[in-house]
Amino acid sequence: MEPTPPAAHFLANRSRIRIFGLSLDDGIRVFFGGNAVVSVIVLTLITYFLFREGAGFFGQNRQNLLVYRQAGLEYVDFMRRQQDDHTALTRYLSDLRLRQFRHYTQGAGRTVAEANAALAGFDDFAGRFGDTVEPLRTLVSDLTEQATAIKTKFDVMEDTKEQRRQLLAAGRKGDADKVVITPVDFAAELQPIRGVLPVYQAASAEFARQMEQVLATAPALPTPELQARLERFKQLSRDYLAGFPAVVTQLESWDYQKPVPAMESLTAFIFGREWLTASFWQDWYGVIPLLVGSLMVSCVALLLAVPLGVGAAVYVNQIATPAEQKFIKPCIEFISAIPSVVLGFFGIAVLGQAMRALSQAAWLSWVPGFPYSERLNILTAGCLLALIAVPTIFTLAEDALNNVPLAFKEASYALGATRLQTVIKIIVPASLSGIISAVLLGLGRVVGETMVVLLCAGNRIAIPDFTAGLAVITQPVHTMTGIIAQEMGEVVQGSIHYRALFVVGIALFFLSLGINYVAQGIVRRYRISIG
Amino acid sequence: MSSAAPRHPFQSPPTAARRRERLIFGLFGGATYFVLLCGALVFGTIVYKGAGSVFQTRAPFINTSFLTAAPESLHVFEHDGRKMELGDQDFRAFQAQHPEVARAKSESYVYAAGGIFPCIVGTVLLVLGAMTIALTLGVAAAVYLSEYAREGAFIRFIRLAILNLAGVPSIVFGLFGFGMFVIFFGWNVSLLAGWFTLAFMVLPVVITASEESLKAVPQGFRQGSLALGATKWQTIRKNVLPYALPGILTSSILGIARVAGETAPIMFTAAYVVRDKLPWQVERFTDFFFQGVMALPYHIYVVSSKIPQNEYTERVQYGTAFIFLLLVAAIATASIVLRNRLRSRYKW
Repeated sequence: MEPTPPAAHFLANRSRIRIFGLSLDDGIRVFFGGNAVVSVIVLTLITYFLFREGAGFFGQNRQNLLVYRQAGLEYVDFMRRQQDDHTALTRYLSDLRLRQFRHYTQGAGRTVAEANAALAGFDDFAGRFGDTVEPLRTLVSDLTEQATAIKTKFDVMEDTKEQRRQLLAAGRKGDADKVVITPVDFAAELQPIRGVLPVYQAASAEFARQMEQVLATAPALPTPELQARLERFKQLSRDYLAGFPAVVTQLESWDYQKPVPAMESLTAFIFGREWLTASFWQDWYGVIPLLVGSLMVSCVALLLAVPLGVGAAVYVNQIATPAEQKFIKPCIEFISAIPSVVLGFFGIAVLGQAMRALSQAAWLSWVPGFPYSERLNILTAGCLLALIAVPTIFTLAEDALNNVPLAFKEASYALGATRLQTVIKIIVPASLSGIISAVLLGLGRVVGETMVVLLCAGNRIAIPDFTAGLAVITQPVHTMTGIIAQEMGEVVQGSIHYRALFVVGIALFFLSLGINYVAQGIVRRYRISIG
Repeated sequence: MSSAAPRHPFQSPPTAARRRERLIFGLFGGATYFVLLCGALVFGTIVYKGAGSVFQTRAPFINTSFLTAAPESLHVFEHDGRKMELGDQDFRAFQAQHPEVARAKSESYVYAAGGIFPCIVGTVLLVLGAMTIALTLGVAAAVYLSEYAREGAFIRFIRLAILNLAGVPSIVFGLFGFGMFVIFFGWNVSLLAGWFTLAFMVLPVVITASEESLKAVPQGFRQGSLALGATKWQTIRKNVLPYALPGILTSSILGIARVAGETAPIMFTAAYVVRDKLPWQVERFTDFFFQGVMALPYHIYVVSSKIPQNEYTERVQYGTAFIFLLLVAAIATASIVLRNRLRSRYKW
C-alpha cells in the first residue's frame, strides 16, 4: 500500500466518499489488485482440488494391496509368475523356430513345405517343452478360483458395510441393524490355499523332471548361430529350473498378515510397471508405462521439432529477406493456431496410413522398425506433436536470437568472420540459453498435449519393448494425458480408479511445473548482459 | 578456412567456404519451408476433402443442411437395386412407405448424417462466455500489473504464478474444472463449468499480452493527464485503456484461438457427445447456464475415434474439421480487422 499522495486540493480528487475507509481511487486500485491475484488463486485452487480428489488414492491403494495379500492373491501370483516365465521361454522357442524357418526358406532356398518338414523334429521338441508346465497350470487355475472367491467375499463385506454406513447416515437405524455383515476370516479361508503347498511341491518336482528330460532331447540346429541360440535357451531354462527352490522358500515364508507399509502404496504408484484396471484378478496402478509412453512420444517429437524450429528461427532471424520474414512469421503463427484435435484427426485419417504405406516400401526397409503394421504408434504421434512444438520453439528461439546485441554481430564481421561463422559461432551461442529454454517450453507443451496422443499414439498400456532398439518408436503406447482423457469419463466417482487418474493429473501438473521452472531458471541464470 | 594465404586483403573468401555457407543456409531455409509445407499439407487436405461436404455444385452451393441440422445416424441399404443413403428421419419415413425395407440388409453409422448445427452453437457459446470472463479478469489484472504495481517480492510472485499457469497442461485444467465446478460446486456438466475452466486456462495469455499493450502506451499520455489534475483512474480510463485496446484485442485473438481449439478441458466439464435440445430450448432462464452443450472439437474427437473410417463417415469427419478450422480462422480474422480499424484511429 503506497501512501495517498498529498494531492487533496486538486479538483478531481475532492471526493470524500469513503467505503471501508477507502476512497474511490483506493477502491479501484484494490479491485485491480484483486484481479491480479486471481492467477495465484487459480494455481492454488488447481493444486487444492487435484489433491482433494486424488489424495484418497493412497489409502485406497494400500487397502487394495492389503487385500491382494490377505486374500492370497499374492501367494498364487508366486506360482503364476513361475508359469509366466515358462511361457516366456516358449516364446523364445517360437522365435527360434521363425529364425530357422527363414534360414531354410531364404538362406537354403527351400519351399515352405520342405522347411516345415525339416522343422518337424524341432516342433516336436517345442511342443513337448510347452506341455511340461501342465501340472503347474492346473494347480494355478484352481487356486486362482479360490483366491478370487475370497476376494469377492471381502468385496461383498465392504459393500454391506458401505450400505450400512449409508443407512445410518440417512438416519434409518432400524434398517441398518438388519444389514448383516459377515466378516471374512482370512486365516480360515486361506487354509485350503496354503494347504496346497505339498501338492505344489510335487507338481513342481514333476515339472522340473519333465523339463530336464525334454531339454536333454533338444535337436541339433543347422547353423552355428542358431545352435548358439539354442545353447542360450538351454542355459536360460537351467537358470529357470535353478530358481524353483527360491519360489518354494517364498511360498513357505509368505505371511498373509504381513502389514503393507503406507509408503508402499506410493512406491507402487511411482515405480509400478503395470497399469491394469477392471481386471478380474488384481488391479494395478503403476505410472511407469504411461510416463515412459509420454516421454517416448515427446522425445520423438522434440528430435524432429528442435532442428526444424531452431533452424527456422535462425533462418528467419539471420538469413531471410524482409519479404520472406513477413511471409513466414504469420504462416508459422497460423500453424500454431491449428487445433490439436484437428491434427489428431489428420493423424488418424491421413498420416497414419501414409506412414505405414511408406514404411512398407521396399527401398526403406533398412530403417529400423520398418515395415510396421500398427497404424497408430509413437512415430505417428511424435510427427504430429512436432508440428505443435515447432511454432512454440520457433517463436521463443527467434525472440532469443533477436535479443543478441547488434554489436556482437558487427564485431564478428569486423574481425573478418563470414556470415556462416558469425551465425554459428557468435549469434547462436550467445542466445543459447534462450534457445534451450525455448526447447524446454516446447517440451512442456508436448508433454501436456492430450488430443493428438489420445487419437494417434495407439493407446496400448504397456512399456514399449526397448530390446527392439530404435524400432521401439514404431510401437503403440499410452500416455499420461491420454489415459486421463480416455478413462475419466467411464470411472465411478470416488473409486480408486477415479482417484488414480487424479494422481496421474498431479504428477503431470508437477512435471510441467518442473519443466517450466528449469526453463525459467536457465533464462535467468545465463542471460547475456548487454553493454 | 584454407591454409593458402590470400593474394590481397579484399579477395573474396575461398569458394569451398562459400559453398559450405550456401549449403548450410540452404538447410536452414529448407527446414523453414518444410515446416510451412507440413502446415499447408494438413490445412490443404482438410479444406480439400471437407469442402466436398460443405459446398455443393448446385445452387445455393452451400450444403445448408450440414450447417443447420442436428447429427443423425446414416442408414445405407439397397432398394430396387440402387444403393440408398438416408438420415435417420428420412429412413423412418421411407420405411413407413416401403415396409419391405425393414427386411433388407442395412448398415448404419452414428453421427454420419445430418449436420453439426448444435456443435457450432455450443462452440460459439463456450468461446463467448469464456472470453468474457477471461477478458474481464485478465485486463483488470494487467491494469494492476502495469499501472499500479511497484516491483517487489509480491509482484514477482504474481508474475511467477502467471508464467507457471501458462505451462499447466490443458487436461489438468480439465481435471481441475471437473473437481471444482462439476463436483464441488455441483454445477454438473454445464456451460458455466466450461466457461470458467476455459477462462482460467486462457487467463495467462490474456494477462501477458494485455500488459504488454498497456506498457506500449507512451508514458507522456499518463503524465499529461495527471498533470492536468485527473485522478489515476480517470487517466487509465480516458488516456491509457483506449490506446491499449487494439493490443488487448490481439491478445484475445490468441486466446480465442486457444479456447475454441481446446478439447481436453471441456471433455468432462461442458461437452456432451450428443444432445437433442438446442441450448435456448430450456424451461427456465437459469437452466441455460447449467446445461451441457455439444462442441465442435469434441465432436471431431467423437467422430474420428468412435466410428469407423469409411466413405460414408468421411464426409462428416472432414466436414466438421473444415468448419471448425473455418470458424477459428473467422474469429481470428474478425479480431484482426477490428484491431486494424482501432489502430488506424489512434496513432502516436
